[in-house]
Amino acid sequence: MSEIQTLHILNKSPEHPRFARCLSMAGPEDAILLIENGVLGFAAAAPGGTTAKLLALAPDLAARGMDIDSRPVETIDYDGMVELTTRAKQVISW
Amino acid sequence: MSTLIVIDQPPYGGWAGREALDMAFSLAAFDQPVSLLFCGAGVNWLRKGQEPGQIRQKSVEKNLAAAPIFGVEALLADGDDCSRYGLGAEQLLDDVTLVQADSQLFANYSHTAFAG
Repeated sequence: MSEIQTLHILNKSPEHPRFARCLSMAGPEDAILLIENGVLGFAAAAPGGTTAKLLALAPDLAARGMDIDSRPVETIDYDGMVELTTRAKQVISW
Repeated sequence: MSTLIVIDQPPYGGWAGREALDMAFSLAAFDQPVSLLFCGAGVNWLRKGQEPGQIRQKSVEKNLAAAPIFGVEALLADGDDCSRYGLGAEQLLDDVTLVQADSQLFANYSHTAFAG
């Protein structure tokens, strides 16, 4: 179980200015968890321009009818999200 | 274990900022260390001489004056964003500390939450 420096929880759609800001701020020791409208970032392709590990919340993908098996992303459920927060030294809710 | 509440949306056009302010004051009232950061269009919260009576709203300037009473540790503002919105030292509310809103700043807080 590896440690995460900063867990970025991103719930904004790709057009929101915070989406790009989050991606550019996250470093290689960080993880970005896309939730709510944030999962729309996977609609066409995986969000680019970041070295951080990408994760997405499965219930939010399912709610929007999104199948992203082909994208380089780990999907987690609510329990996984809770577990993720315990592994992060710091959390930023965008 | 300190929290940073970030307001990046301007005052009066929406409620997200006021809700964030309530959250910060609640944390402070229960002795949880908290600071407020204004960046982007959110720096417009910090302009002196706001008189929103004609749009039937209360001045956020008065809300902010309560921050030290509740025990909010600091009012921070991004210096570049202040310049972008014409906020020099004379226009800015008292007791605002100018900073650079980057990952180095966020690293000082275990929790950072954006408003709205």
